[in-house]
Amino acid sequence: MSGGIARGRLAEERKSWRKNHPHGFVAKPEALADGSVNLMVWQCTIPGKAGTDWEGGCYPLALHFSEDYPSKPPKCKFPAGFFHPNVYPSGTVCLSILNEDSGWRPAITVKQILVGIQDLLDQPNPADPAQTEGYHLFIQDTVEYKKRVRQQAKQYPPLV
Amino acid sequence: MAAAATDHQLSAIKGKKVLMVGAGGIGCELLKTLALSGFQDIHIIDMDTIEVSNLNRQFLFRQIHVGQSKAKVARDAVLRFRPKISITPYHANVKDPEFNVDFFKQFHVVLNGLDNLDARRHVNRLCLAADVPLVESGTTGFLGQVTVHVKAKTECYECQPKPAPKTYPVCTITSTPSKFVHCIVWAKDLLFSKLFGDKNQENDLNVRSGDANSSSERSEDVFVRKPDEDIDQYGRRVYDHVFGYNIEMALSNEETWRNRNRPRPIYIRDVPSAALTRQNGNVENTKTADDPLSVSAMVSVGLKNPQEVWSLVENSRIFLEALKLFFSKREQEVGNLSFDKDDQLAVEFVTAAANIRASSFGIPLHSLFEAKGIAGNIVHAVATTNAIIAGLIVIEAIKVLRNDTSNYRMTYCLEHPSRKMLLMPVEPFEPNKNCYVCSETPLLLEINTHRSKLRDIVEKIVKARLGMSLPLVMHGAALLYEVGDDLDEAMVANYSANLDKVLSELPSSVTGGTVLTVEDLQQELSCNINIKHREEFDEEKEPDGMILSGWTQALTTENNKNSPAGGTETLPVGKKRKISESSNASSTSFEEKKEEVAIEYSDIVASNQYIVRKGDNAAWTIVSCHLSRTFLMKI
Repeated sequence: MSGGIARGRLAEERKSWRKNHPHGFVAKPEALADGSVNLMVWQCTIPGKAGTDWEGGCYPLALHFSEDYPSKPPKCKFPAGFFHPNVYPSGTVCLSILNEDSGWRPAITVKQILVGIQDLLDQPNPADPAQTEGYHLFIQDTVEYKKRVRQQAKQYPPLV
Repeated sequence: MAAAATDHQLSAIKGKKVLMVGAGGIGCELLKTLALSGFQDIHIIDMDTIEVSNLNRQFLFRQIHVGQSKAKVARDAVLRFRPKISITPYHANVKDPEFNVDFFKQFHVVLNGLDNLDARRHVNRLCLAADVPLVESGTTGFLGQVTVHVKAKTECYECQPKPAPKTYPVCTITSTPSKFVHCIVWAKDLLFSKLFGDKNQENDLNVRSGDANSSSERSEDVFVRKPDEDIDQYGRRVYDHVFGYNIEMALSNEETWRNRNRPRPIYIRDVPSAALTRQNGNVENTKTADDPLSVSAMVSVGLKNPQEVWSLVENSRIFLEALKLFFSKREQEVGNLSFDKDDQLAVEFVTAAANIRASSFGIPLHSLFEAKGIAGNIVHAVATTNAIIAGLIVIEAIKVLRNDTSNYRMTYCLEHPSRKMLLMPVEPFEPNKNCYVCSETPLLLEINTHRSKLRDIVEKIVKARLGMSLPLVMHGAALLYEVGDDLDEAMVANYSANLDKVLSELPSSVTGGTVLTVEDLQQELSCNINIKHREEFDEEKEPDGMILSGWTQALTTENNKNSPAGGTETLPVGKKRKISESSNASSTSFEEKKEEVAIEYSDIVASNQYIVRKGDNAAWTIVSCHLSRTFLMKI
């Protein structure tokens, strides 16, 4: 059976998340219509931090784990077209801790990834632009940038 | 002033943090002994509150404490004579999530004084996960044992399958009882449930060998009260059927009785005075309290002493009266009752029925008090045993803290001295390589994957056999099942749909060759189950429709006699697996050990102090001291 290590670690991640996780966050293995629940893909929700323009939004994020996890980091994707300087047009998040060649360590937990991405929302890294629109507005037009962020927050209302 | 322990021992104890699980019979003695031995940082978990029935043996508690937390009261009681030590009580269930692996990791040793298998398994698994040594204990009446479980060095608590509760062959119960307990089992599991329990439940009351249920249809009706039938008439009819007609039928099979004493059928007409019940006994006189458990046939029949053995006539009167009271005073419960040892009327009925059956078969009759003990599997706790066991726990705990691996012992406390000894030390066994808890060997499950459902595996294997409470079942990276309050509705619905799916039709099909991984949310236990498809199962021998193997290989039931209750394990006679293969002087054989260790009763007056005295060339430690008797053990 391949993926034994990845699966074992993901089971641990799942259990530790179920026992305790930060308030407002959601992270669970993807459940398909046929009743299957896949540990290799997690559907998550990241709440925008209170007191920031991101507040009020609950942003969906998918974590795609590979058989090489945790040697390699999961791919983290917002919906395509997500507005943020460090998110590629495909939705993939560009963050140092998620980069195998720079900040990723196998010990990083799902919880740390999600909290890290929450931090990134309000603190973009201008050194690593991933989309033109978000990056340009962030650098050149703060007023418009903030407006777009608040608009996007309304687009992802919290699920009741 | 007695010394707490030797200098060696003191230095081993110093600064060590111990966790005690359970503050009951063993726990009270243990906490006292730990404190007096010099332990200074003790944490204690117990979810229970003090009950009046605890006071005869849990000496840290007094009547005013009834209703309070055992852990907290025990702490306060011990702090009164050892005010400077630290005792941290938790009035909580050891299975609560706060007591996780990290919690366990802070301790140098964990000491169990528990009363149930479930919690013992849980603590065993957490100790393995946290790599903390466990000293496990249990007592049943005069019997008791202390065992040491250190990961990878000695076997874990679950390396050996636990003896299952004693069951009796159906035909012994239904046709050929030879002991009083057989009559009790018949009265409570068959007759009582037939009359007052769920009518839909399978019941072997009318099963007779050689009789092939030919008259089963007809006998079914016997137990149903006919419309307009007088309750007294009904009672006598049931009486005649079960004690008269059924015995008569059984007698007709000559083969059965060739080598047995023939039973005597008893009809109500044979005990005419039993019919007088209603003149003496007056139902109206009994206090019809609101509490249905206070209804009593003894009261209405006029019998007072539960320790007295009733005559056949008295038993017959109790039988008829109890049956009548069930149908008159507790009618709404009839159909849903199951035997409960705290239900006075149920105990009366079962005692009477068992005694009448015993008369038939020439088996000595027993009192209500004795019958209640047998029916409820009650083993009366003995305070002295608890104290001995607590002393032994401390001895082993100190060895563990000194890392004195070669001297670890499992010690069994016996009821009768064997070669003048009450305590039987045995070298601990090595871990069982096939243990599904402490080894990584996968289990094998034979099951019909086209017929059995996921629910069957979860209920019969994962929960019942592996003892998991919040399992996660995985097939590769696919989660098939999870349970817990934290799951959202969609997840719950998804998993409950999976439970009802046949294995091969699950979203990730489970077939022959599949490896399932089962973990528990809180126990830190993970094990693999290899699935093997098998088409047919023997309904008689394999009623679950599945067979789990892999860890039962180590089972040596031949050597193990069944212990009376779950608490005590049996001594595997003549079985020995040493921790180390070293053949130096310290590693003496089991037989030699028996000679070397001796127990004596000394006249030292109990002082509730833990004393070590040095003799010429032997150190003697007081294992237990109270009730003016002291147990000495050479260490």
